[in-house]
Amino acid sequence: MSKKVLVVDDEAHILHVVSMKLKNAGYEVLTAMDGEEALDIWPSENPDLLITDFQMPLMTGLELCARLRADGCRTPIIMLTARGFDLEADEMAQAGISSVLAKPFSPRELLGKVDSLLADPAKAGGKR
Amino acid sequence: MAARDYRGSPVTTAKRLGLAGVSLISLGASAAYFATMMAMRNRIEAETNLNYVVLGAVAALTAVVLLVFHRTMSRSIESIGRQLGDMTKSGQMGLVMPEGGDELTPITQPLNEFLTATKSQVDRLRSENRELQIQSRIAEAEKHHIEAIIFSISDAVIVTNRFDELVIANEAAEKLLGFKLDRSLHRNIDGVISDSTLVRLIRETRSHGRSQIRKVMEETIEQKGLSRTFSITLSCVMTPAEEVSGVVAVLHDVTREKEISRMKTDFVSNVSHELKTPLASIKAYVEMLVDGEADDPATQREFYEIIASEADRLERLIENILNISRIESGVVKVVREAVSPTVVVKEVLDVAAPQARLKNIALVELLAPVYYQVEADRDMLYQAVMNLVSNAVKYTPDGGTVKVTVSVDERRDVAVCQVADTGVGIPADELPHIFDKFYRVRANSKQGKGTGLGLTLAKHIIETVHDGKLMVTSEQGKGSTFSFELPVMA
Repeated sequence: MSKKVLVVDDEAHILHVVSMKLKNAGYEVLTAMDGEEALDIWPSENPDLLITDFQMPLMTGLELCARLRADGCRTPIIMLTARGFDLEADEMAQAGISSVLAKPFSPRELLGKVDSLLADPAKAGGKR
Repeated sequence: MAARDYRGSPVTTAKRLGLAGVSLISLGASAAYFATMMAMRNRIEAETNLNYVVLGAVAALTAVVLLVFHRTMSRSIESIGRQLGDMTKSGQMGLVMPEGGDELTPITQPLNEFLTATKSQVDRLRSENRELQIQSRIAEAEKHHIEAIIFSISDAVIVTNRFDELVIANEAAEKLLGFKLDRSLHRNIDGVISDSTLVRLIRETRSHGRSQIRKVMEETIEQKGLSRTFSITLSCVMTPAEEVSGVVAVLHDVTREKEISRMKTDFVSNVSHELKTPLASIKAYVEMLVDGEADDPATQREFYEIIASEADRLERLIENILNISRIESGVVKVVREAVSPTVVVKEVLDVAAPQARLKNIALVELLAPVYYQVEADRDMLYQAVMNLVSNAVKYTPDGGTVKVTVSVDERRDVAVCQVADTGVGIPADELPHIFDKFYRVRANSKQGKGTGLGLTLAKHIIETVHDGKLMVTSEQGKGSTFSFELPVMA
């Protein structure tokens, strides 16, 4: 069974690129435009990995992660951000983000991280 | 006193004495001779009385001579004494003039020399004293002048002495730290200055003792309950003997500077983020193409178009940021000429028409006659109107209306341009922020992505460059109306 990845970003192009890359690599991809939508579909879909943008209207990626971790889920999370320097290391560790990728990012590199996180369960859930 | 010729006078006294002496001796000698003659003629008895008479006469004459001499001397001495007394009373120094005989010359001459010397010394001291008084008055005036300067300085200035007592403070210091100088002078700053950190800093500066200058960033609560930040400069006042005689503290309000600095940092951070977003898309799609993720021509074409449009978006963004920066820093080149707002609006509507048609939005125009002109930069005015109209179209759902009016208020000599839409409107709490850089109304983000700079640029063009005013009214769910005014050219 192929792994399920949820991608959250308010930029349609980013969603498009990431889903295409992951789909071509054999993953099942779901998309959401903001945190609320992501939380809505999470219980029913139960993704194996979350890729989310940091800067989004209404709910930042950090808040989304915090909410999910508070609900007890241990899914690996990759954060994309154009504001790499704004994130504190302990903030990220607290929110349980597994990996951070700065924008502009390379889809190739992203795929690599997805592969490694989903291949090795030990890398999942809250560890950097 | 007129100079007198003393040459004749000493002789007078001696002459008198000589004369008197000679007379006396002659008289005495005659009497003695007469008495001796009588005695030799044996007339001793009767001549004893004559002897007594002669003796008596000689004695009397001698007494008279002595009396006269004594009186002359007394008068001279008294005269000198009186003159000296007059001099003391009147305070004027002069020379002593001896009357009559000059037996006192050995005294009067040195006395007069002494008096002359003393007088010139007194004159010199008097003129020195006058000079010192003038200097003292000048110094006093300068001190007042400097105090006045310190008082008028807008930064708070506090001067303390080596006992940490308040010596000088200006009005700004009184207001900031809540004390009155006339009641707090020479009191320890402990009981006067409300901010304990400042008191501590002043103490430390004094005890460190060298003439060092320290700068500290500090927060102070102002009386109105507002917190303001000050840059405090402390330095020691040193005596010439290199000892600390006090401390000067100057508090400069840097609240605004810090705020501006923070705004600049925020702006740079925002710009960076905004520019990276389209760039990220471009790079991602290019990489996908390179990695062969788009295997069919249709997908490839799609990717190329996305890359092209994102590149355009990036370019527009950079252009807007540059324009706004240029206007803000005043380096923008403004070409002012007579421009007809009606003509400009017509051009904008022509360009906006296709997009409006796509969304089935009705573009309504109500334009004043072309001959009304304003003094403006044509390109900038076009840009401002374009931003307003494209926003109106973007944030109006399908089937809505965008109405653009240009009217002239002849009484106030202004041309009013208004862009009204039946769109999604702006929530009241976000209305004050819509002109901020990169601000996008959260609720309306679904309507479309913009640079977040369109209104900022429009506002800068209308207000900063053209001295006009850009106003907005809006109701969420009903629509928004933007309008601005520019003076009409005669």
